Amino acid sequence: MNFFEHIPDEDLALYAMQALTPDEMRKAQEHLDQCTHCRAGLAEALGDIALIGLSVDQEPLPEGVKERFLQKIDEETARIQAMSTYPKAVRQKSYGWIGWLAAAACLAIAAYFGIHSFDLQQRLNTAAGQTAELAAQAERAQIILDVLTSKQAVHVTLTETKQPAQPSGNATYLQDRGALIFYGHNLHPLPSGKIYELWLIPQNGKPPIPAGTFRPDPSGSASVILPPIPPGTPAKAFGITIEPAEGSSAPTLPIIMSGQ
Amino acid sequence: MEDSGLLARIQARDHGAMSVLFDRYAALVYAVALRVLKDAGEAEDVMQEIFVQIWREPGAFISGRGSLGAWLTVVARNRSIDVLRRRKSSASFELFSLPSQTDLSSEVERNALMEKVRSALKALPEEQQKSLEFAFFEGMSHSEIAEKTGDPLGTIKTRIRLGLISIRKALQS
Repeated sequence: MNFFEHIPDEDLALYAMQALTPDEMRKAQEHLDQCTHCRAGLAEALGDIALIGLSVDQEPLPEGVKERFLQKIDEETARIQAMSTYPKAVRQKSYGWIGWLAAAACLAIAAYFGIHSFDLQQRLNTAAGQTAELAAQAERAQIILDVLTSKQAVHVTLTETKQPAQPSGNATYLQDRGALIFYGHNLHPLPSGKIYELWLIPQNGKPPIPAGTFRPDPSGSASVILPPIPPGTPAKAFGITIEPAEGSSAPTLPIIMSGQ
Repeated sequence: MEDSGLLARIQARDHGAMSVLFDRYAALVYAVALRVLKDAGEAEDVMQEIFVQIWREPGAFISGRGSLGAWLTVVARNRSIDVLRRRKSSASFELFSLPSQTDLSSEVERNALMEKVRSALKALPEEQQKSLEFAFFEGMSHSEIAEKTGDPLGTIKTRIRLGLISIRKALQS
């Protein structure tokens, strides 16, 4: 394999199945990191191998599997809640043992209630879940507030390319948190099966990052709040394209609105 | 509700949405893991791990990455192969993109697609079927397949590629 040139289709299929040798996998990965053409080919190969997975005969799930899963995510939620409500200043002073002590105490308490009252344990779990949800909502609200008020936030107005500027969009982006809020106004309605997709175009020449899909309401307004963007991603510009209803991994030209 | 809507609600820590997503795809993920691992306990572990990770990081799968069902199929297969090879996955979460035309959120459409894929797979020449099975379900490298079958390396690569193209074409026709 010569990875100065594009990766042959045969090797992309093997890469997708991790069926190349470790050395070939590494070389392919290095090439893919730099090559959008081969990344598109890889996406196609992955789509093909997903189909092989669909040939598998369906099997009934083991008994109780869903209950075990829901219990796991309850535990996960409680863990996140414990982390997020623990005083930040204390955590920063490396009193890690306090966290372990608190966790051990929680476990002991949970065990106590588990032994003496299953019903009470259930109610505790529900309460912990609700608290975690509230904590997550509060954290999200804080991020929104930070984005709207931070002096470091970049404010970009997007206007329609080559058209009178009635449709407009406003993107507010805070790079270090990867936090983006977008509002669009007077946007044209879309045909069925189509959707607007917002893109963050990075400064470092990397491929555009999908930043959320949206359809305008009857008045032409739409918003995208905190799409998942890796924190620290430097933005060169923002753009909007029209994509199939399920969204795309790469923008379909033309870019109908853009701003930087 | 569409997959993207469910993921958005999961991001807002909605247990109900996670439950719906689990009901929609758990059997698919489990079936793939079981086919690779041939062990119900290990297959459940892989499945649980994948869905817990979706709960932890729903943002790792965004609508721009294509079909969630197809993505889960590939993740289930790759995680199972990792277990089979007894090595830790190098990536914390699979960040690849897939074509988005495969909608697996509807059970009816999913079953119809599965039937088509099975027929297409059965229609392949035996050598192509075997090569695909060795690579996909047994996690063998192209050189291991070549060694096992006694065929040249290039032949194995071509068989796998042709097999995949034939299945794709059969579904498009």
